[in-house]
Amino acid sequence: MSEKSLHLRLGIFMSLFALFLVLYAIPSFVFAPSNVGKIVLSPLFWPYVLAGLAGIVGLALIANALTSAQDTPFEDEETEHPEGAAPWMRLGALAVIMVLVMFGLPRLGMVWTAMLAFAACAFLFRTRHPILALVCAVVVPLLLYAFFAHVAGVAIPQGNLVRLP
Amino acid sequence: MKLRTLGSVLALGVGLIAGTAMAEYPERPINMIIPYGAGGATDISARTIAEPLGTAVGQALVMANVTGAGGATGSVAVQNANPDGYTMLFARVGSHSVNPAMKATLPYTLDDFRFVTVYEINPVACAVRPDSGIDSMEDLVAKVAEGGVSYSSSGVGSLLHLAGAMVLSEFGVEDPLTQATHIPQQGGGAAATAVLNGTATFICTNSSALASFVANGQLKPLMVTTAEPVVGFDAPTANDLGKPALNKLVGWTGIAGPDGLPDDVAAKWGEWMAAATQDETFRTTMEARGSVIELMDPETANAFILEQYNTFKALVDQLGMRIEG
Amino acid sequence: MSLMDSLAAGLSLVGNVEAFFMLFCGLVIGVIGGAIPGLSATMAVALTLPFTFSMAPINGILLLLGVYKGGIFGGSIPAILIKTPGTPASSATILDGHPMAERGEAGRALGMALYASCTADAVSNLALILFAGWLASFALNFGPPEFFALILFSLTIIAGVSGESLLRGALSALAGLLLATVGLDLVYGTNRFTFGDPNMMGGLNFIAVLIGLFAIPEIIAMAWNPVAHLGRARALGKTRCTLADYLGSFKSIIRGSMIGVFLGSIPGIGAAPSAFLSYSEARRTSKNKANFGKGEIEGVAASEAGNNGVAGATLIPLLALGVPGDVITAIIIGAFMVHGLQPGPMMFILNVDIIYGLFIGLIVSSVFLLIVGSVAIRGFRFVADVPKRILMPAVLILCIYGVFAVNNNIFDVGVMFVMGWLGYIMMRNRIPAAPFLIAFILGPLLEDNFRQSMLMSGSDPLILFRGPITWFFWLLTGVTVLAITRSTLRKRVPLS
Repeated sequence: MSEKSLHLRLGIFMSLFALFLVLYAIPSFVFAPSNVGKIVLSPLFWPYVLAGLAGIVGLALIANALTSAQDTPFEDEETEHPEGAAPWMRLGALAVIMVLVMFGLPRLGMVWTAMLAFAACAFLFRTRHPILALVCAVVVPLLLYAFFAHVAGVAIPQGNLVRLP
Repeated sequence: MKLRTLGSVLALGVGLIAGTAMAEYPERPINMIIPYGAGGATDISARTIAEPLGTAVGQALVMANVTGAGGATGSVAVQNANPDGYTMLFARVGSHSVNPAMKATLPYTLDDFRFVTVYEINPVACAVRPDSGIDSMEDLVAKVAEGGVSYSSSGVGSLLHLAGAMVLSEFGVEDPLTQATHIPQQGGGAAATAVLNGTATFICTNSSALASFVANGQLKPLMVTTAEPVVGFDAPTANDLGKPALNKLVGWTGIAGPDGLPDDVAAKWGEWMAAATQDETFRTTMEARGSVIELMDPETANAFILEQYNTFKALVDQLGMRIEG
Repeated sequence: MSLMDSLAAGLSLVGNVEAFFMLFCGLVIGVIGGAIPGLSATMAVALTLPFTFSMAPINGILLLLGVYKGGIFGGSIPAILIKTPGTPASSATILDGHPMAERGEAGRALGMALYASCTADAVSNLALILFAGWLASFALNFGPPEFFALILFSLTIIAGVSGESLLRGALSALAGLLLATVGLDLVYGTNRFTFGDPNMMGGLNFIAVLIGLFAIPEIIAMAWNPVAHLGRARALGKTRCTLADYLGSFKSIIRGSMIGVFLGSIPGIGAAPSAFLSYSEARRTSKNKANFGKGEIEGVAASEAGNNGVAGATLIPLLALGVPGDVITAIIIGAFMVHGLQPGPMMFILNVDIIYGLFIGLIVSSVFLLIVGSVAIRGFRFVADVPKRILMPAVLILCIYGVFAVNNNIFDVGVMFVMGWLGYIMMRNRIPAAPFLIAFILGPLLEDNFRQSMLMSGSDPLILFRGPITWFFWLLTGVTVLAITRSTLRKRVPLS
């Protein structure tokens, strides 16, 4: 991708986002009391200023893309990925792991969730040391638990199944 | 209506079962949530009592600061916790009487909690800069009439916010919201600094937050809201000035659990607190910071907080300070 | 009491093994605490506080100061090694420190971080001892209008950390400013973009955003291409920081220390903006300007000098006025109070022995930091040798624990993940993350001080120009913006 097309894309996105903020998001999700005296003091003032600036930056990006003559691609651009769809699958898998972590933390407890997440990630990254990865997956969360819970006195979530001392 | 009755019956049932099942409460460490940041008045108070309290409980107390939104984030965490006595909250005047009185949008009410104790009272003092030309509350009120008076607070819905308005209103200022300007700051330290550097005219806050400035002659106290004088504050009490109604305006720290907390758990907390507050180190540390140790049992604590809440609520409605939206 | 008497009294207080031992312990705790992301210097100080209640006042305070100083340095270790800042203050160190580690120069970057930290620490302590009274009374002149002007000027840092394109930097900064509006409104207490969720009312946790933005994208990038790192020479950080390196960056270190002292003595700014300001100043004046952001050792030096320069200076408002400059000093003030000490002008008269004891302890602390830091670097350097596909899951787990520990809230872990994906998308689109972060820190300060000024003046904008300090910063802002515009235009002309 070249700088020109990147800026065109970002510019269009940013301008649309600014419009979305002004027309929908700010009026619906920012609340201002009815008795605000001066407009500069209103809770709405700053979000609108920012939305305006976002619009300006968006337009500037578009203008920059349209006026720049050259269209050379970035030098360090990653060319066609050799694996086809596999990277996208892995990104999706990582996203699923993260969602599962959020689901598991309050239910399974932080230590068990972390062990599973560690192992899952290590295999997702196709580690060359599977045994070491498994050992680490068990040891690292336990060590961190011991440190955070017993040295730092943090209430690490324990979950409902197996409680650690 | 029926659903609610059913719900409360169920809750009662669960509470009873939990009560019998937990004959040996506490059998594991108890999570104590502090809804304010490290180093603040609530935090120091909580960590000071944790020492003797832990001994009385016989189990570890795990202190956890859950900060945000003027104490609301931490309070909600306890509101939604299991009412099994293993998640308790250090409730504070800001989170549990000023906030509920002022904020319509608050995600909890006083009914969502069961208070097991209030153990500390903090007198409130009002102070100005010594070179402000204000020597007494009359001077301040006269100045308000001239205009241009402002007061600082640690944020909307904090004790300081309400205190400034309440004091002015008691001293006969008709409409303190428009006659004096409220300048909120981020946190109590910044609020005191705002008076020091002349951003705001006066501040009303816990005497402990002002003690060092008063001792150093950087701020001059105008009054304290308790009936008794406060050590180190050379200023008249509210009763001296004929405003005993201001006695209600004090800070406090207490401990609360979620609403469904079983009776025997509450009773146990009553005993533990009675033992913990006898601790000599705890008393001297807290009194050195200007707190008054006053232990209330669960019933007295609930009544005390409700009464303060109602006073504040009436004032908020009268002045139109309620925050909607 | 003469100076000599005071010094003698101070010496007699700290002249025992215990006081120095406490200081040393504090530094060790601080470096370890700072090196664990999420635990941060603030947490380490807060956790140590209860232990000081039973100590002699000077020992307790020295212990806390040790933790503070150690923590600010310790944060740079994970920033360099795993691109995860241990404390917010060390986020500027990532910009050049991590690329150096990627190149196999972790040892050199860490060494420079340590030397810059110690130098800045010493400068900062000296400033405290010599100019405390003067700087403190100057800092009291900073009301909301002065802050507004100062922060507006600080926002020009964004130009310095934008990298290839100023426009993409501006886009990043705007995203940060917008995200910072989430939470309760300062003046009216109403909801802004909270969607009724109590967890959002306090605003998004700063450390969760910070770690999400810097550490998590690396992990996601690893999922995209697990073998990308194999060709590169990462392993073994055996390289050292040489005297020539140090001397080459000396000017930036001193400048960074001064910036740190100045921003530290003004309550309410903190170490992270100082580090970024120091970094962007170093970049602006350096001859290796083009190399900044790609692993320039001077960048590491400048950032670390900027954040450690704050550490001693925040004690200036604390001791001279009784005003805490940031969260950490707010906790330390608690230690003074439980011992019945009341920081402020009177303390220099009533407890002068403690003040001088502190000064002596502080001077020693810079030397101790050098010792503790060298050992810590040696201990942590092995991280650079861990196989990357095992290290990354470990970093993920560490971030989960750390971000949870900051506020004991699982919601923050979710914020970190979401920010991680945002950071990854930004990375793929060549949008720099640093402007986002600076804007996220400074945005709320800018807005709050603007509105406080408007409250003070009854919405009269003239208050923003009320005195020499505001004029100075407005002028500085104007000059900087002009310079940025000119250099941007000049870059464009020969291209097109």
